[in-house]
Amino acid sequence: MNRLRCAALAALVSTGCGGALAAQPIETPSLAPRVAAGELPPVAERLPRLPLLTALPRDGWRPGRHGGDLRLLMAKAKDIRQLSIYGYARLLGYDEQLALRADLLAGYSVRGGREFTLRLRPGHRWSDGQPFTSEDFRFYWEHIANDAELSPGGPDKKLLVEGRPPQVEFPDAHTVIYRWHKPNPYFLTAMAAPRPLFIYRPAHYLRTLHKAFATDLYGFANEIIKADARNWISRFHNLDRPYKASNPERPTLQPWVNTTPGPSEHFVFTRNPYYHRVDANGRQLPYIDRVTIDIASNKLIPAKAGAGEADLQARYLRFDNYTFLKQAESRSGYRVHLWRSAKGAHLALYPNLNTADPAWRELLREADFRRALSLAIDRYEINQVVYFGLVDTGNNTVREACPLYQPEYRQRWTDFDLARANRLLDGLGLSRRDARGVRLLGDGRPLEITVQTAGESTEQTDVLALIHDSWLRAGIKLYVAPSVREVFRNRIFSGEAQMAIWGGLENGMPTADSSPEELAPSNKYQYQWPQWGSYVASGGAAGEAPDLPAARRLVALHDAWREAPDKAGRAAAWRQMLQIHSSELFTIGIVSGVLVPVVVKQRLRNVPEQGLYNFEPGAYFGIYRPDTFWFDDGDGGGDS
Amino acid sequence: MLHYTLRRLLAMIPTLLVISALVFAIIQAPPGDYLESYIAELQAAGETVDEEKIAFLRHEYGLDLPLHEQYWVWLSGMLQGDFGYSFEHNLPVSEIIGDRLLLTVALSIATILFTWAVAFPIGIYSATHQYSWGDYGLTLLGFIGLATPNFLLALVMLYFANVWFGISIGGLVDPALIDAPWSWEKIRSVLAHLWIPVIVIGTAGTAAMIRRLRANLLDELQKQYVITARAKGLPPGKLMRKYPLRMAMNFFVADIGNLLPQVISGAEIVAVVLSLPTTGPMLLGALQSQDMYLAGAFLMFLALLTVLGVLVSDLLLAALDPRIRLGGGAGR
Repeated sequence: MNRLRCAALAALVSTGCGGALAAQPIETPSLAPRVAAGELPPVAERLPRLPLLTALPRDGWRPGRHGGDLRLLMAKAKDIRQLSIYGYARLLGYDEQLALRADLLAGYSVRGGREFTLRLRPGHRWSDGQPFTSEDFRFYWEHIANDAELSPGGPDKKLLVEGRPPQVEFPDAHTVIYRWHKPNPYFLTAMAAPRPLFIYRPAHYLRTLHKAFATDLYGFANEIIKADARNWISRFHNLDRPYKASNPERPTLQPWVNTTPGPSEHFVFTRNPYYHRVDANGRQLPYIDRVTIDIASNKLIPAKAGAGEADLQARYLRFDNYTFLKQAESRSGYRVHLWRSAKGAHLALYPNLNTADPAWRELLREADFRRALSLAIDRYEINQVVYFGLVDTGNNTVREACPLYQPEYRQRWTDFDLARANRLLDGLGLSRRDARGVRLLGDGRPLEITVQTAGESTEQTDVLALIHDSWLRAGIKLYVAPSVREVFRNRIFSGEAQMAIWGGLENGMPTADSSPEELAPSNKYQYQWPQWGSYVASGGAAGEAPDLPAARRLVALHDAWREAPDKAGRAAAWRQMLQIHSSELFTIGIVSGVLVPVVVKQRLRNVPEQGLYNFEPGAYFGIYRPDTFWFDDGDGGGDS
Repeated sequence: MLHYTLRRLLAMIPTLLVISALVFAIIQAPPGDYLESYIAELQAAGETVDEEKIAFLRHEYGLDLPLHEQYWVWLSGMLQGDFGYSFEHNLPVSEIIGDRLLLTVALSIATILFTWAVAFPIGIYSATHQYSWGDYGLTLLGFIGLATPNFLLALVMLYFANVWFGISIGGLVDPALIDAPWSWEKIRSVLAHLWIPVIVIGTAGTAAMIRRLRANLLDELQKQYVITARAKGLPPGKLMRKYPLRMAMNFFVADIGNLLPQVISGAEIVAVVLSLPTTGPMLLGALQSQDMYLAGAFLMFLALLTVLGVLVSDLLLAALDPRIRLGGGAGR
């Protein structure tokens, strides 16, 4: 019966229409005294008229009970922004299958990829009880995005198509329409991102901080001086940080609201009494009353988690902590799950196609050279030696669970085949060798590649040591140059570096609607072609124009994706780009799908055993809806 | 004496100016600035970096000014009591540092008392029983304390304190009580946590203290006035307290100069490992993320305290020991 009801609810939710409450709303016990004292309206009045009925179609998921404190550990006070990620209340967000669903919005519709109509929930309120309406969107658009002082660069780039802003209309209190002259494929994903584009702000609160609304300029100036701010702009930005959650006074729509002004070692987030989600029994979410964050040094966090000082922890835990955590499992009353990262590759080599040395530049731009480097890596050995054989190997590309995945993308040029690698290298005119057996370049220099690392983990150097051995058998000598991150990046930008090692594609689980910008030259921070990326990002003002046909083709395909009118067109662009990458190997992927230990208190329910631990898409725990996690007090209750 | 004090005070001004220039140069020495480390951090978290936003922030924070202008802004601000703004915490520096000082001072005083309590009896015993089994044994113990890497000892003690006594790992107070007002329960919790860092930091200092006290005492014990006093039948305890021990205290007063900066910096490495809410980890974090005003304020504080500490110990020495000349080199 229960399962049936869940399925029915899931169908309801997935239509995105919300629907009427299945039961009378139940008052949250921890808020009842405040309701009785008249400080808060009763739950039926706090919920939007159309609350989002939440029932997740996952095995083992069931509605829970109110109450409890969830303890988290973070390394820096700044990390409290993780709660904006875990909370994951977005206008629309990804579900566990990575499909987009309306969340804060009651619904939305898209016409021709260029006209977006957002419908709000009537009666929806900010955490301070003020209504959340189209006025909050208007405030952002007119007084933040288009305010010459607050946004000197104009609206965010994701809101511009070919440099032109949208027409924005606010027909009534619950409808907002964005209309561009051409399709804007970034818009919806930007709102669903873990760090979203906040196109709505609490107008009633921010108006008091905005110069345009200051009636008493003298008093306004005094406030700024009292706050020790440089000017009203920096005070405004400081107090309006929707993502950082650093200002307890700023109203929010997230499930938990920060109550601790920094600096502190202990932050407390309490439930948002006006949150818009409700379960089938009529309990307003989140179930958990408070989330507390303790700041501890990141090296101590595994030890603290092992001592049972966290109820839910994955951040700052690494795979090599797994055995320690597992050993303390029963002593400290938690379970350790292993979730997978969704990066395209955990580690990848980045040949710098913009390296300064002309001979090397020419060689690194040869696809056959990169292919030979890839063929001469023994990924199986790396997996066995460093990762106990538990991770996946192959190219830096989308992951198996992604709808765009083809086995060929991951496997091409990744067999360990020294004979073929040697043949390819001989074919490039590198057949002369010195006494050590290291091949010689045309100008007589030995083929010695220095790989830059950011010097943060010994894991990278371990992997490089194994690659060193197999490359040597192909006549290539590898050196490792560890440094610190800033130096590492500057060496790549300046062209001093020949090659670097770093993580692969951030988004290994894209859909056709996700931006393929990581695959094409698009910004300076792409270590395989920093100059080309810089050129594209600046519109030709900086960097160098991509001059390799394949790279130019990627830029063109990125444009084609942007302008494609429909999903099929975008999927086609994605496939071609992935195809080019698997054949050209602009980055050389090594391993992927690394496991992350997730410590979960035994009493904590609704946390899946297997999951994706990823920033974008995924929002770490966000897509599994931490507002539905709850503490079971052992009486098995919750379903009633 | 007054003349001497005044001259020393005036000499502090150019010293501090030179130190401020050095501090600024050191903070600026690593490549990049705070925003570079900020970009790197965003990227490591998988977040995107908006170049325009970065340029805007760089202008907001004044990081696009030439170096000498940045130095001037910092220096003139400090002279007016404004230590600048921490980029990392988004707060004025003065608000961040204040909170941490109390626990740092408490920890440091406890550590110093612990060191003295251990080192004094051992030092006196070693000197009076030179080359005995007791001397060797206790000295060995002190050296073991000195030779064990602090951070290792800290981790081991943390683990067993948690497993055996159920004390929460790291920090100076139980997480549940961090924001609670001061109460008996909170003080008890602080005391329950305090002994680990006190022992860890203290063990490193005891060996040096023991050796110095022993050496100074041995020098005195050979002298004729001690032999005379002993020949006249003064009881050994009173003799020790009244004559050679007092003479051996010079090094102890001279040490005060080092104590003050220690109180503020609070044994950084141990504090980082133990995740103590003292100033050490914050200074390290500020240096790593190139949060220049926060780091600068800390380093200037340290410098000021060192300079003041040296002054205090010099004045004390001059007052205590009539043999010290105030003329500076006139007698050499």
